[in-house]
Formats: sequence, structure tokens, C-alpha cells
Amino acid sequence: MADQFHHIDREPEKTTGIDAEYLSGKRHDYQSDASVSAHVDLLAGTPGDDINWLEDIEMLEEDGIPAVFDRYSNSFLKLYFPMPDDKAERDTIARKVLLLHLQSGNSYGIQLKALHCKYPQPTLGSWVSGSAVAGADWKAPVLEGWAAKAH
Amino acid sequence: MDALVGERRISYDARGLSEPNADVPHVSEIAGTSAVFDAKDLTTRQINLELRSLIYEQGITDVTVRNPGSKHSIGVAILHRANITYEGSLGYFACGLVDGPQITIKGRVGWSSCENMMSGTVVVEGNGGSLTGAAMRGGDLVVKGRVGARTGIDQKGGTIIVLDSVGSTTGFMMQRGRQIICGDAGPGLGDSMYDGAIYVGGKVKSLGVDCVPGEWTDADTELIERKFRIYGLGTPPSFQKFVCGKLLYNYDNLEPSERRIVL
Repeated sequence: MADQFHHIDREPEKTTGIDAEYLSGKRHDYQSDASVSAHVDLLAGTPGDDINWLEDIEMLEEDGIPAVFDRYSNSFLKLYFPMPDDKAERDTIARKVLLLHLQSGNSYGIQLKALHCKYPQPTLGSWVSGSAVAGADWKAPVLEGWAAKAH
Repeated sequence: MDALVGERRISYDARGLSEPNADVPHVSEIAGTSAVFDAKDLTTRQINLELRSLIYEQGITDVTVRNPGSKHSIGVAILHRANITYEGSLGYFACGLVDGPQITIKGRVGWSSCENMMSGTVVVEGNGGSLTGAAMRGGDLVVKGRVGARTGIDQKGGTIIVLDSVGSTTGFMMQRGRQIICGDAGPGLGDSMYDGAIYVGGKVKSLGVDCVPGEWTDADTELIERKFRIYGLGTPPSFQKFVCGKLLYNYDNLEPSERRIVL
């Protein structure tokens, strides 16, 4: 999995925006095509007998574009396809796209795990069973050319 | 010495570190995908290391922890789906930061249980301390007894269900999510809340600043009936709904006289 995160090899460029596409470096097919996420099973992807934490997820708007907020990367995932008028249907789309985004490991917060997790945890969180463990061999980064002052 | 239980049985490092030993104790009895271990002689760190090893590395999906001894910070940061049962009470900050597990606590919990919980379900069979569900972000927290003050302070999502009464300033600075209180609520309910909804089945001692009665909708009925059905809580009582009055949304624009009215 680490191979696909090769672009995260340095401190990211700073921006005032919170766009998931900017952070992860690419636009995904489920952002442009509603049918890609239509099969996502919300009940199976969440703990308990209802949709649990996804109850708080709804379709929002960022820069005038429909978007769902990804709390794991603190960013908006913009969606570029026509939205239904019904709010409940829009919210369901937002939940399915977000769950697919997380399950596929495309959230920037998940991508950072390989580099920055300080204790073992499943890379893909609770959304995918049998996910690889990240953070088992974390070592403090060393700044090249820097040494602690002698006291 | 044998009479000591829980935290008092543990020898702590002289420098104040709770447990410098970072080795997984591997004390569980494992059968298939289920595991049971006795936490009586384990430190908080050892218990949490054992839990993570079982769930993350050994593929265990059902864990029972015996004799947790009301130790603090037990079961924090479990970030995977698994059923966890604690056969006893837990101390402060129980099950904080969890993201995915379904937890049953057969006892009481101390302050700040499920603090910053992201997702999953937690059912507490007994009472909860103050700050239950503080800064909770998602999932369901069910307390079958009473809870203390400031329940769901800074709550940003999820559902807190309390079958008995809650203390003062419940829902303080609540920003999102839902609270279903079946018993009475202490003074200052919903003080300075920004959003979300609080349902109260009993009497409310007093409302906090900018907390007002809300309009009941079919979605409220559906939510409460669904949660009661899922957790086998019987027939729900009648509830009053409380929401944010939003008078403080433009606090900086208020005239001094208006501030005196609002505050």
C-alpha cells in the first residue's frame, strides 16, 4: 500500500483551501459518476444496526459545488454530477461517496498514516476488515544537518 | 496486600510513568475469533496493549475483559470493528477516541467516558460520571443509569441516550448530534449550544442561555423509536425537544442592552 502514497514524501505545500482533491493529488471516478458509489452498503459499512456515525453526514456545498466533508482529512470532497432535489437522497449519496472514499484508502488522512502513525492501528480504520496495520515501526524523524545544542 | 484490588495492586514507576513496560502481556484465552482475559493484575497500558494486539493483529472480533477494576483510560483508541465486553466498572476516560467497536460495560463509568468517540456503540449498564460523551463526534452512547453534569459538552455528533436523569449544564456548547434523556435534567440544559437536539422525557430544572423548545417533526419520532428498538429499551416515553435559539449566532453585533437580555 505504501507504494501508492509515494507522492507524500515531504511537507505539503500550504493552502487556505480544504479540498480533498488537492490533498490527495487526484480526482476519483466516484466524484464524477454517481453510479460508481451506488452499490455501497451503508449498514454493512457501519457498526451497529443502523448507519451509526453516518447519521451526521449530509450533503454540503463548497465553492458553490455539492460536497461531502471528510472528517478524517478535514477536507471537502466535491462531487461533479447532478444532484436530486430531495434532501434525503442527496444525503444518502454523500454518505455512500464518503464511505467509498474511506474504504478505498483515498482519504488524505489515511494516506498520512503510513508516515505518521506512532502506534499500531488498522490502515483503513473500521471500514474494511482485515486491513493492514500501520504505525508498528514508527521512528521519530531526524532533521538532516541538525544536532541538539550542547548544554 | 491481597485485599487490594484494581489500581492499588499496580506498582507504578518512580518517575510517575503509569507503565513503562510496552510489551503485550499475551494473557488471553483464545477460542476461534473470541478471546477472554483477566485484567485484575494488569496496568492500564497492558490492558490496552492486549486489546489492540487481539483486535488488530490476531483477528479477534469478540473480546471479554474480566475484572477491569475501575482503572482509568481503558479501551481507548480502538479503531476497528469488534465486540468488547467489560465485566465490571471502568474509571475516567473509558473508551475514549474509539472508532468502530461495539462495547458493553457491565458496570459504571467515571468522568468523560467515550470522550471524542468517532463511531461505534457503547452501552453502559450502570451510571456515568460527569462529562459523559464529551466532544463526542459520532456513534451511539447508551447509559442505562444516571449521569453527572455537562453530559455531551462540546458534542459534535452522534447520539447520547440516558435512561435516567442528567446533571447540570447538559449539552453545554453542543454543536451537533442528539441527546435523548429519559429522566429529569438539571439546571442550565443546553447552555450556549450551537446546534443539535436534546430530547428530555422528565422535568427540566432550567434552560441554559440560548436553549429553547424546538418543533417536533416526524424525523424526531423516527429517530427515537429506531434507537429504542435497536437497544431494546422498550416503549419510549413522551419527550420535549430543545434546540438552539440562535440568538448568540451574531453575538458581536448585539447591542449592550440586548446582551443583557440574552445573557
